[in-house]
Amino acid sequence: MYVKAIPENCSGCMVCELVCTMKHFGVINRYKSGIRIERKSVTEDIPHVCSQGNECNYECIAACKYDAIEKREDGVVRVIEEKCVGCRLCELACPLNAIHIHEKMAYKCDLCGGEPECVKYCSQNALQLVEG
Amino acid sequence: MYVENGCYGGKILFIDLEKEEGKRQAIGDSFALKYLGGDGFGAYFMNKYMDPSVDAFSPDNIIVIAPGLLTGTIFPTAGKVAFFSKSPLTGRWAEAFSGGSLGFTLKQAGYDAVIIKGKAKKLSYLVIKDDEIVIKDASHLAGLTTRETAEIIKKDESGKFKEFSVASIGPAGEKLVKFASIDSDERQFGRAGIGAVMGSKNLKAIAVYGSKDIKVAKPDKMYELFQQYYTTMINHPSFQDDGKYGTGEFLEWMNSQRGTFPTRNWREGVFDNRKQIDPYYWAPRYVIKNKACVQCPKPCGKAFVLKGKYDAMLDGVEYETLFALGSNCGVGDIEAVAKANELCDLYGMDTISTGGVIGFVMDLYENGLLSKEDIGVDAKFGNGDAMLELIEKIARREGIGDAMAEGVAAMAAKLGGDATKYAVHVGKMEPPAYDVRGIKGMALAFMTSPRGACHLRSGAYALELTGKFWKYEGVDRLSSKNKGQEIADMENFMAVYDALGVCKFSRGIFLLNFYDALDAAIGRGFSEEELLKIGERIHNLKHIFNIKAGWKREDTKLPEKFRVPIPEGPSKGSYVSKEEEKEMLEDYFKARGWDKKGVPKKEKLEELEIEEFME
Repeated sequence: MYVKAIPENCSGCMVCELVCTMKHFGVINRYKSGIRIERKSVTEDIPHVCSQGNECNYECIAACKYDAIEKREDGVVRVIEEKCVGCRLCELACPLNAIHIHEKMAYKCDLCGGEPECVKYCSQNALQLVEG
Repeated sequence: MYVENGCYGGKILFIDLEKEEGKRQAIGDSFALKYLGGDGFGAYFMNKYMDPSVDAFSPDNIIVIAPGLLTGTIFPTAGKVAFFSKSPLTGRWAEAFSGGSLGFTLKQAGYDAVIIKGKAKKLSYLVIKDDEIVIKDASHLAGLTTRETAEIIKKDESGKFKEFSVASIGPAGEKLVKFASIDSDERQFGRAGIGAVMGSKNLKAIAVYGSKDIKVAKPDKMYELFQQYYTTMINHPSFQDDGKYGTGEFLEWMNSQRGTFPTRNWREGVFDNRKQIDPYYWAPRYVIKNKACVQCPKPCGKAFVLKGKYDAMLDGVEYETLFALGSNCGVGDIEAVAKANELCDLYGMDTISTGGVIGFVMDLYENGLLSKEDIGVDAKFGNGDAMLELIEKIARREGIGDAMAEGVAAMAAKLGGDATKYAVHVGKMEPPAYDVRGIKGMALAFMTSPRGACHLRSGAYALELTGKFWKYEGVDRLSSKNKGQEIADMENFMAVYDALGVCKFSRGIFLLNFYDALDAAIGRGFSEEELLKIGERIHNLKHIFNIKAGWKREDTKLPEKFRVPIPEGPSKGSYVSKEEEKEMLEDYFKARGWDKKGVPKKEKLEELEIEEFME
């Protein structure tokens, strides 16, 4: 399972980012969000979110020199916080622009235990939970 | 504790463009609780840190940028941020709101307001990157559009993983067009010419990056409120209407049911050629998707893409612009209207004032007061290409565009004679899309708005047009009776929205029920009564600014056109007489606790705890 973005529907409202960081950390911070909206132009608002390996080749896991990223049995690619040093290798390697370093820690989508909050609160149907 | 635990950034940033320095100052609880944020902070700082009597283009004029209290939280539709300054168009209080990402980003950078004074030595842009402040050379951006400017700055500053919010002016702001706007995320801080103030300060753009946490006092409670309001909103009828057709959804109703859609420089209240400018016509044909402000699940913005005779790409066309660059110029061709909208956004000019001054020139042309040689084009009502050409002339201050760039009031004064009969402005501001001859409370609101003819300071058009809102019902739009208290109440109500940063299109959902939201946000709830008192304080502070800037009771009057009856349609025969004007204004001063000259009485200032500003 992973969150699939449909950029043609995205209004750029960033509500997905807000629910993501509120749910996980109780604060608002774009740079801790597992999903990020690039408000690029009038016609382009692009959600960037991890495909959990379905639309990439686990470049982040391959790039990490500290074994700080793993693919769990439930299919979620997860950051092991105790091991992450914030070196940015994953951020640079990710082809989907979906893992980010903020204050020496990697942040990415963890699928909220299978019911992603961002999908629930996307009013424009720009995010879908799909099987993969 | 409220500032520290709540959703405040906690600091005010002072920028001196001349000295090229930035200083930070912490805000305290008593200040925050007294003024809340956004509009409240703007009203306070504008009175505190500048002399309202200075020329708008003096380096001593300041620009204040302030996100609303709830901006940067998860509270739905609270993504607004405002610019404040002294207006070069009206010589009075100026404020303009928008909902791009700028306010949100300022909060993440830790700022509840930015105060800019002085003038840069050469064209520059300001970079605010959390605690780091840099003023950079912008000579490579001279003359560029708002969009080009933002794209270049974002490319140079943002990098792949950081996103800057940019507010920029276009060539019109650099040329000091008096109604120049500021663009941010393809949305506009449109009214009152603050873009020209930026131009006068050699400030081409402001770029902000913020990466700090925005806290709230009670995160779980805030999240529950979000969930509750989100569900309400997406099940509300306006979710469908705004979602499909944007803010112009009621355009047909304004014409056929109310007859109050100003047309051809306020000759008529019904636009006969409106078929194409109705969103029900154009949305299915040209809109490729919705566009939202930050924090808003019910987007009214529309990504409008045009290819053919004109190429254009814009977030629009918004209701006011469908009037200003549509009916007011007699233009029924939606493609010309959309192109004109895009040009105004790119050059950085307020669409309402631009359409106002073009409609004025078209009226003068048709009545023989200006010739084709004077204007340079065949400026008949309905000529879309002439409208587009005039926009180019204004932005470059070329030919007649130089006089038009001063606004309707100044142009009429320069032309003299009969031209003043055709000049439609209140307090030197070109009015928005409500023919107040048939909405009399709004005629009063045009006079009492601190920034001149304005629909948003009171937002009373909906109440007047439907007869009911909030605690009011049975309101008669064609009567001038009992309008004073109504407009004063609505102004106080709306000032609360502007202080909190909440979108006014949500007012039917929230009313003033912000007790729980504020308790969750900063740990202290406010009753409706408390909020209205703060709204009243804010409105009075803006009025005090205007009095210090030289405002007089005699300056407040309606244009001659408002005394001519609406010729046709549902409001046929209605107009605002001189007696009604006087009656409404006196009623309003009384409701406000101001004297007959419109000066707040000492008791009122003491009651509002702002006597220090009126000495």
